Amino acid sequence: MAVIQLGDYIVIQRQKYTKLQKFGSLDATATLGKEHLELKSLLDQPYDSTFKMCVKESKAGKRGAQRQHSLELCSENELRSIRDVLNISSSGADNRDISDNGEAQALKSSDIEQMREACNESSKIIEKLVENSKTFHTRTEYSQDKYLLKKEKKYFEFVQIRQPTIRLMVDIFHRQDADKIMGIRVDTLSQIISYSGISGFGSYLLYESGTNGLLPAAMLNSMGAATDSTLVHMHPGNVPQKQAVLALKLPLEQQQRCISVNLYSVLREFYQGDKLETVEVTEESVKTEDNAIEQSEDIEPSSKKFKLDESRNLSKGPPRWQLENKRAATLMNDKFDSLVMAAKEHPSSILQALLPLIKPSRPIVIFSTCKELLQETYMELKATGKVTNLHLTSNWMRTYQILPNRTHPEVNMSGNSGYLLTGYTLK
Amino acid sequence: MSFLKPKTHIEQGDIVILYLSVNSMHAIEAVPTIVNKKGETIAHIFQTPYGSLKVQSIIGVEYGSRVELSKGWAYVLQPNPELWTQTLPHRTQIIYTPDISMILHQLEVRPGAVVVESGTGSGSLSHYFLRALKPTGHLHTFDFHEARADQARDEFKRHGLGDFVTVYHRDVCNLGFTSELDGVADAVFLDLPAPDLAVPHAFKALKLSGGRFCSFSPCIEQSQRCINGLIKLGFTEICSMEVLQQESVIKTRSLPVIDLEFLKMPKSSEANSIDDSKAKEPKELKKYLTSSCPQVLPGHTGFLTFATLPPNIPKA
Repeated sequence: MAVIQLGDYIVIQRQKYTKLQKFGSLDATATLGKEHLELKSLLDQPYDSTFKMCVKESKAGKRGAQRQHSLELCSENELRSIRDVLNISSSGADNRDISDNGEAQALKSSDIEQMREACNESSKIIEKLVENSKTFHTRTEYSQDKYLLKKEKKYFEFVQIRQPTIRLMVDIFHRQDADKIMGIRVDTLSQIISYSGISGFGSYLLYESGTNGLLPAAMLNSMGAATDSTLVHMHPGNVPQKQAVLALKLPLEQQQRCISVNLYSVLREFYQGDKLETVEVTEESVKTEDNAIEQSEDIEPSSKKFKLDESRNLSKGPPRWQLENKRAATLMNDKFDSLVMAAKEHPSSILQALLPLIKPSRPIVIFSTCKELLQETYMELKATGKVTNLHLTSNWMRTYQILPNRTHPEVNMSGNSGYLLTGYTLK
Repeated sequence: MSFLKPKTHIEQGDIVILYLSVNSMHAIEAVPTIVNKKGETIAHIFQTPYGSLKVQSIIGVEYGSRVELSKGWAYVLQPNPELWTQTLPHRTQIIYTPDISMILHQLEVRPGAVVVESGTGSGSLSHYFLRALKPTGHLHTFDFHEARADQARDEFKRHGLGDFVTVYHRDVCNLGFTSELDGVADAVFLDLPAPDLAVPHAFKALKLSGGRFCSFSPCIEQSQRCINGLIKLGFTEICSMEVLQQESVIKTRSLPVIDLEFLKMPKSSEANSIDDSKAKEPKELKKYLTSSCPQVLPGHTGFLTFATLPPNIPKA
């Protein structure tokens, strides 16, 4: 089984909360709310292990104490569920005897805070809370469960370290800031992969203007290791957003089958590659064009490395981006087996430029957060007669709480899946 | 052989999608002759509402081309799981693309994955699994209906997918997934009337290093029983959901804008007749690009229940 190594991206999970974090150095810490975790002890431990958060020091902060924890690998015994440990039996039938008067808990918040520093185990804290709660035993079993879950969530001192996958990352990204992945929801992402037919065979074309690397990562994931498929990933910036791609820690041969190129410079290379003599001209124009576009390159771990590579390459020969442009142009000449687009710009002109690069009888998938843009594109495509079987779709997705006698849809649901325009190219 | 990888031209023996319109697509086999009911070999002619197609004429044609029918024309497309799902011969109820996409995503199927599926049914989902896991993975698919299993096996072979799939005729609820498959699967998918009976078998089939589980059931009671079984065996991240796709119908509408202002003015005898005629014909047409939902759309397909088997849970 894979072990946690320096330089890995890791998913830290505490209860249902998950977070993507780079384990860049032994001094690295992760922040989960008010808790700071030292990651040092994760090194060389197998993924999916559970670690116990042990308080090292506690500083008074603006909003309560900020605690620094070290992590210790957990034993099997520690992993039993809280309910088993506490052995709760008596419960009430309904809430007729419970009033919200703030006197239910006999412990003061300072007592709890002290207890938290004195003893490490959340089960002990919760046990004390239950002992000192006047209403706990009059609550219904359901309500007891809910109380325990709530307290468990607050005082839970275990974290699990998992290896990032597309499934875990799309959840994290969507929950943290859906805008950073252009609001691509899990169901929509899954359908982009299906409709575009990405698999271990074929040559694919993607244009995206900023999804934290999620789209290229999902496509690379479906292309698989040790296969022949290739992906040309066009983006509008100087450097591609690649966080999700790096987090997957793919083998080098697989990473190299994703050729990330700037949309403008690769199209210039494609149309007038032989005529281009001066590198400076393209480089300059690329930069000015980029400035016009709103960029969100806040988490871009690869940018530094990329620039170093570039300067090193410069001394030896043509810069890396130029070599990548040439590789991409070769694939563009051979044409692609599908097109995926998720643009922040108006899709029409980009589609017009990229559609001729797709072979006939191949799927195209265009994503947009709003329907109106795709309605127009639908009509334009219909008028050209170059694409058939056009469909504009969206999704409705609902998760369920399924418990004995307590089954219902979850209280919250996401209202916007985004829209997909799909079709097949014609000769 | 047309399912293995993208190809440009129709070869003899390919399955080809004959696309007439959004609502009319047919999967046909590109062979020049077929054997009719009387056992005679005759030329393969395919009948459509737009006339007949001599199938021999499409062999060698580029995919995506327009082909002539005796009373119209159609497009020939290379089949893929999406088009196949819409045209395949139904032997059972099938699962469609929105649910399937979520299943593939949640089961984390990618090239190299070993997937166990039950039941095979019409092979709609199997084609998706095969696309996602080839060329390095393998699908083990089970059906308790012998003829269906045989038909599916034959179909996968003709589609060029035979190397990546093993089809079993077996009642998995009672007999499990065979001991050879103990601890080999990255993912298990169940579409059974009583998924709870197969949960312990799924548990055995998953790798010791853990894996993903999915059960599709139309009724919530099945999901409830299934989840009880999953909890008992130590599965985590149990989650149930429903995914429904809505299609937008896009139309350009022209709306007349009528003028009601003149009604505030008193009628004058001379101008009267002119005004009346003006009012009857609309002065202005406004054009809008609109989209609306169809009158009837799928309201329920099934509940998808997903779960993770964590690593190192003893199977004994």
